[in-house]
Amino acid sequence: MTPMDVDPQVLTPRMARILEARDMTAQERFFRLQLPGPLAHRPGQFVMASIPGIGEAPISISCGPRHDGQLELLVRNTGSLTRAMHRLQAGDFMGIRGPFGSGFRLAEFEGRDIIFVAGGLGLAPLRSLIEPVLAEPRRFGRITLISGCRTPADELYRERMQAWAGLPQARVIRLVNDTAHLPWDGEVGLVTAPITELKIDIKNTLAVLCGPPVMYKFVIMELAARGLPNAQIFIDLERRMRCGIGKCGHCQINHVTCCQDGPVFRFSELESLPEALT
Amino acid sequence: MREFLATRTAVLDWIRTLAQEEDAFFPQPMGENSFSFDKVRKHSTLAFEDFDAAPAEKPFRASTCVQPPGKRLSPNDEQIFHFSKDENGQYQLTPTLDARKRTLAGVRPCDLKAIHLMDRVNRDGIPDAHYLSRRQNTTIIAHDCLQPCDEHCFCEATSSLRWRQGADIFLTPQPEAKLLIEALTERGERLLDTAGFPPCDDIEKRRALAEEKRAKPFGRHFDAPLQQVIDTVGNSWASPVWDKHVERCFACGTCNLVCPTCYCFDLKDDFNIDDPHSGQRTRSWDGCMLEEFTVVAGGHNFRPQLATRQRHRIKRKLAWLPARFGDGSFCVGCGRCGHQCTVHIDIFDIANDLLATTEAEP
Repeated sequence: MTPMDVDPQVLTPRMARILEARDMTAQERFFRLQLPGPLAHRPGQFVMASIPGIGEAPISISCGPRHDGQLELLVRNTGSLTRAMHRLQAGDFMGIRGPFGSGFRLAEFEGRDIIFVAGGLGLAPLRSLIEPVLAEPRRFGRITLISGCRTPADELYRERMQAWAGLPQARVIRLVNDTAHLPWDGEVGLVTAPITELKIDIKNTLAVLCGPPVMYKFVIMELAARGLPNAQIFIDLERRMRCGIGKCGHCQINHVTCCQDGPVFRFSELESLPEALT
Repeated sequence: MREFLATRTAVLDWIRTLAQEEDAFFPQPMGENSFSFDKVRKHSTLAFEDFDAAPAEKPFRASTCVQPPGKRLSPNDEQIFHFSKDENGQYQLTPTLDARKRTLAGVRPCDLKAIHLMDRVNRDGIPDAHYLSRRQNTTIIAHDCLQPCDEHCFCEATSSLRWRQGADIFLTPQPEAKLLIEALTERGERLLDTAGFPPCDDIEKRRALAEEKRAKPFGRHFDAPLQQVIDTVGNSWASPVWDKHVERCFACGTCNLVCPTCYCFDLKDDFNIDDPHSGQRTRSWDGCMLEEFTVVAGGHNFRPQLATRQRHRIKRKLAWLPARFGDGSFCVGCGRCGHQCTVHIDIFDIANDLLATTEAEP
């Protein structure tokens, strides 16, 4: 076999110092990390985050591209690793590998109107695209964000969304399924509801979706009813990535490897992948 | 000099000599009817089948080992890195790369092709340093098959039978208890330079002798040519065949475990029991037939039905990986999955059933 140059650290994380750690909700903890060098990521990519000795899991990158080696993650407490991560404080360390995945290419969004639809934690990865797009109002068109969650206590990035709503090119629609008797200044209902009333310039609009599997079917139905072609809908898929380098097999959907070919796909690409939206 | 002719005994003695200098692995009897690809030790029984051997002799020396030789290049529970944490919370992480020299001897063409395919996989995209470190330090001595190893074999049907690529040295059985010894790489040539085997001056005649002796047809054959099998499996999605063969499946994952081209894995972390400030991450084999394989945090399972997991396994071997790598079938026809399966579910039967079933596809 011909020898080849390989990165010996391919499955070994770099350790990143936690600069900021705070609970955003009862379930989600926000981290800002300092890596030893730049991450050079695109919006929509993910990292493999770990605590040595406990484990490793794929976590979406929640911040836009930056050059200072900083990285922001929003981690939901769902298992033994993320429970341990929720105990980490500023000054502690987290292991990071990546970035991995295709992500979004900003050039594809130039001059376009963009509709973002986020369900629950889906807002975390979408923020990595929303912020760079809002930062350059002349480069991109009108921006609409529809963000839904269960109750007001589950809402993520509330202050950010309120700030985005104040920008002239942006419209932000915040929804909850149920106010749960808590104060709430947004709307009540599902993320599909506002789509029927949106002004959509079909030729010039792209939609970007991220949320639980059940959300995609219904949001796509609404967008299709408004006439938006499948090639103009981007979907960020979740899978059990274990390696990030297209080897471990867990994230394979039909013939594609989600961690390398995705996790961001155009819906038109998923039509040939019957297992994608199960 | 690249070709030699020596007695089987001389070659086996030479393999024993190699085993004194570095780890060498060879198929060794395990129980009454099976073989294990194990480290050659002082008292190991090493043997090759005779030129005139009939497969009815049990255990037949050409029999596939329960675990394929290639698994020695990505062992279960291999360490990926080890770490320690100091009193300031700072970590030190060191990747573990196994660069020890080793020899895999007695590798059969089906398993040799599987190693070639694993080389492709591990060099693809972002290369896997851990596999490649072992692979680059491994010598492969392959041995041709003139008779199918057992009733499960279908290596000729998957174009693996005459596979030679990836071997450093290739052995072909000859009459009078001899072996034709060919160096296929520089590494193989260097090794044979010092082995002291007599040169072979009638190589073409020797190759023809073996080819003439080879069983024809060799093992089982699909009901259609391989490309048609690949096309049929590739185009099949809603066929009732996917439900038929899982009716008796326990989802135990043995088929994944013994397949020479199953390479899915999981990563696990541990602390050292005597020092909780240090530990390691290890990689263990995983299998797409197991129920937890596609479960994500929060409990959603993207492939909950057994039939869809079976379809995924078969399509990976016979459609998706062949399409991705353009290197033919990822099923090498070794017959292990059907042989080791408790309820005799065989990829060979599934492929033939798909060929026999026409399916209305959208």
